[in-house]
Amino acid sequence: MLWVSNIIDGQKAIDADEDIEFVLACQKGDTEAFAVLVERHQKQILNIAFRMTGDYDEACDIAQEAFISAYRSIRKFKAEAKFSTWLYRIVINYSKNRLKQMRGRDRREGVSLDDSGEIKTEGILNKSLIDCDNPGTHLEKREREAQVQKCITSLDDEHREVLVLRDIQGFSYEEIRDILKIPDGTVKSRLSRARRALKDCLIKVIGDL
Amino acid sequence: MKKCKGIENNLPFYLDDSLTGAEKQAVEEHLNSCPRCSKVLVELSKTGALVGSLAEVKPPPWFKQKIMARVREEAEEKSFVQKWFYPLRIKIPIQIFATVCIAVLTVYIYRAGEDQMKAVVPSSAPAPVVEVSRNQKPAQSLEAPENLTANVTKGKVAAGKDTRDEKAVVHDMSSGFAAPKAEEMKKTLPQENVSAGGRDAAKSIKENVASDAKADKYANAPAAKSIEQSRTGLERKKASVVLGSAMKESRAPQSQSVMPKANIALHVSDIDAAAVKAEKLLTKYGAKNVARQIQEGKAILTAELKIQNIKDLIAQLKTIGRIEERIVSVDNADGNIFIVIEIVNN
Repeated sequence: MLWVSNIIDGQKAIDADEDIEFVLACQKGDTEAFAVLVERHQKQILNIAFRMTGDYDEACDIAQEAFISAYRSIRKFKAEAKFSTWLYRIVINYSKNRLKQMRGRDRREGVSLDDSGEIKTEGILNKSLIDCDNPGTHLEKREREAQVQKCITSLDDEHREVLVLRDIQGFSYEEIRDILKIPDGTVKSRLSRARRALKDCLIKVIGDL
Repeated sequence: MKKCKGIENNLPFYLDDSLTGAEKQAVEEHLNSCPRCSKVLVELSKTGALVGSLAEVKPPPWFKQKIMARVREEAEEKSFVQKWFYPLRIKIPIQIFATVCIAVLTVYIYRAGEDQMKAVVPSSAPAPVVEVSRNQKPAQSLEAPENLTANVTKGKVAAGKDTRDEKAVVHDMSSGFAAPKAEEMKKTLPQENVSAGGRDAAKSIKENVASDAKADKYANAPAAKSIEQSRTGLERKKASVVLGSAMKESRAPQSQSVMPKANIALHVSDIDAAAVKAEKLLTKYGAKNVARQIQEGKAILTAELKIQNIKDLIAQLKTIGRIEERIVSVDNADGNIFIVIEIVNN
């Protein structure tokens, strides 16, 4: 019964996938159809990469690589899940790999990733918070965001990815399960630990919440 | 405390409102009696609020263009590969089939061309001239063996196997043929002499040989002249000169000189009877391609004879009449000699 349920869920995902038309066009060789997919998903892809790494430039690079990788393997996309789910899995994997490289590089250079993440986050938050009217509030908010990002970056990979997908990007548990290919129970337990670890980190960094 | 730990694990989901009714009720009952867990719940709630308030970053303006530029590059490379190889299950077998076809066609064309080349240019086994002259039996392979010119033609075929020492051969055989005339022959002999056309050519020069033989009985002159005369008959066939004919023709004089030759003048009182006797002798000594021509006041016999039998033949011919002999190019004991017996009245 379980596999029947999975097939039905998969069929629903395909039916509900608004990207499938453009994906099929890409599979037939229409390069420009991919531009629509980039337009639709670029912001979310970039934000996932950014929250995973805490580095805007690295996030831009990761997002580009993820899109190029998706284009290269778009013929292998079988529409068993939504295109966006498949795409987010790619960017999560790229982010994790890049983070490993960054940590290795920083370890060699004797720089703390948390520190570097904070610096770069601050720089980019300056660009992103353009709607803030009050400069004082803006500064305070920017600083708080940098502290939160620092704590997110300090989490383990498996906790960070669940937290980013659920609490920042707002995916459902089912979507997270599909993106990360882990069971529901694992998603929940990792999320529970991730939230508590983040709370502890923020208490350390900020003080009393 | 033990209960607090279990409740703490469920607090994030209590905030999510993703607990079952019983779990939710248990958490709420515990929170009412546990200020520590209530505090944790507040902290988790504030943490969630902080995370949820994180601003989204915006992609840079060049972001999409840069991605699409790379995608188009990829597409161009991909389309080239796809054009040639995809779908693999169709195009790879077609390409293999096409390759095999081309290979077969190439071999077929090569072989067809090889046959043509063989027809035009005799095979070029680098055998020394002396070897050729010893081992060749040209008379057996051609259809017009009964006269001198046919023999010349055969000789040419035999000599065609030689690719080297051409100049040396010309010098060696200079006693048999005059070099300038050989050069002329080189230019005029058409390639048909090698194959079936050789018969026609031989016939056309047949009479000329006989008439020339009268004028110049011995030594080089008859053969050289016969070649020169044959040229006029052969020039008509010159139209079909093909690739390699020049090379082949250049060997013609040498081929003629390869076959040793004996000219014998037999002076008798009865030409006809002597001719019959001489012919019988030739047959007796195993002569091949024996031909007889009767002309006014003389008879000419031509044949090919094994060199070791020539002395016996001459000894026997002396019993028929007085002979004058001249043998050229007998530099080995094996092989054949071309013999011309001219029978004239005393």
